[in-house]
Amino acid sequence: MPEPGDPAIALSEIVQDFPIRRGSTVRALDGFDLKIAHGEFVAILGPSGCGKSTVLRLVAGLERATVGEVLVEGRAPAELSREHRLGVAFQEHALLPWASARSNIELPFKVAGRPVNRARVDELLNLVGLAGFADARPRQLSGGMRQRVAIARALALDPDVLLLDEPFGALDAVTRRRMNLELARIWQAQRITTLLVTHDVDEAVLLADRVVVMTGRPGRVRHVELVDIPRPRGTEVTREPAFHEIVDRLTGLLDEAEPGAVTEPAGRPPRSAA
Amino acid sequence: MTSGTAGIGRVRSAGAAPAATRRGFWLAAAGVLALLLVIELIGRLGLAGPSWPPLSAVLGYLGTPTARLVLGRAIGATGTAAALGLLLGTVLGVLLATLGTLLPPIGPGLDRLAAVVNAIPLIALGPLLINTAGRAATPTLVAALAAGFAVFVAATSALASAATSQLDVFAVLGAGRLSTLLRLRLPAGLPLIVDGLTLAAPAAVLGAVIGEWFGAPRGLGVLLVSAMQNFQANLLWAAALGASVLALAGYLVLLGLRRLVNRRFM
Repeated sequence: MPEPGDPAIALSEIVQDFPIRRGSTVRALDGFDLKIAHGEFVAILGPSGCGKSTVLRLVAGLERATVGEVLVEGRAPAELSREHRLGVAFQEHALLPWASARSNIELPFKVAGRPVNRARVDELLNLVGLAGFADARPRQLSGGMRQRVAIARALALDPDVLLLDEPFGALDAVTRRRMNLELARIWQAQRITTLLVTHDVDEAVLLADRVVVMTGRPGRVRHVELVDIPRPRGTEVTREPAFHEIVDRLTGLLDEAEPGAVTEPAGRPPRSAA
Repeated sequence: MTSGTAGIGRVRSAGAAPAATRRGFWLAAAGVLALLLVIELIGRLGLAGPSWPPLSAVLGYLGTPTARLVLGRAIGATGTAAALGLLLGTVLGVLLATLGTLLPPIGPGLDRLAAVVNAIPLIALGPLLINTAGRAATPTLVAALAAGFAVFVAATSALASAATSQLDVFAVLGAGRLSTLLRLRLPAGLPLIVDGLTLAAPAAVLGAVIGEWFGAPRGLGVLLVSAMQNFQANLLWAAALGASVLALAGYLVLLGLRRLVNRRFM
């Protein structure tokens, strides 16, 4: 049974290997350790191919660790997803193209076999600023709007844990910045334990309580940065020297981490290590 | 994924493509006209003997009340058998593909079974079915077999066509196999299933005609056999024309359905 002081998410001594071809594997994570407290927002930052998405997929129960243990609320992630207590949004919005924004947000209710809580869906549509677009289909929405629907869908069932894998990675810089501020506002209202995977330093620092910087492949924790900028964090935060100091420091760490990823042996990196 | 297909749709309606489409249409029309002219000429000149009448003679024959009655009845019978067979084959093909998706271990076995059944020539199954299922049911059953395989193959790949990210979202949301099938795999695969139907419809007409060949009470297949044996060249050609028109009509109807489905589900 989880105790009150226990972490919401605990990854201990994780080793993750992916088979690339017959007999050979690539090591995506090697001795990865991370604990996330209840109600904490943690961002994982790393060069591409460092295995940061693998961390998220482990917590989502989409991959199983080769060695080590992943616990969410003290239990296996797959158990939580079976109880519909996880929310997730990916870089690809993964919305159902034949369904309206409203019915995409209703999906978690239907999948869980629960009656659709219309008030909750309306509240989410308002929260993500799409009240006027409830009946629009995804292709009628802009890229940013689609991601907002995807985030609303992830929040629909009040999940214990919210998992965000580069949710704004496919958006242009301006939209992305606006979405970051918006997510900061949404998170402020919900305060769900959140794991965000990103390669955007500004995004990580603006949103997270803690930023974990990973090494190149195989991924390990290289540095943990506590971001003690008070919330709510609006656009003015991004102009403060404290913000830029952290961003510069983390960017420097990322630049140093990069060469490790380049000297990898030739061969296709596994899909989930991106 | 969706943005790509939407992009294609937009280009098609944007104004650059219609000119090319129109040119394609006229080229196709010219091709068909040339083919019909060659057929007519071979008949007129008697190049292929008396069993190849000029097309105009066949059309003239089709103008007579008896021909219309005989051919109309035959097309009705074959069309009904083909439509029922298509329906039966579609239901069976989709059900089998669904079973393979819900119970992944049996998927490869089902694929092989379908391939083996498809490898048996329909012409060899005809007499077998006549003896077991009867003369009246055989055309429908052969049509169902012919159509069913096409639908099964299309449905199997259709049900696997949902995007990985969508399947991941369903997995994390804790969706069961049945829920994933009904809410994601089926709707996402519907355009591909309908693509399969456009192939299955002409196959069903062919199957129905083959099924009738072995002595069904009525139908285009029966007409073909009797016309051939009695040297009724005009009737033979008229029946062949009827079968082609039927297959083409089925194809065109499903093409329209495909357009509707694509607009809704992509």
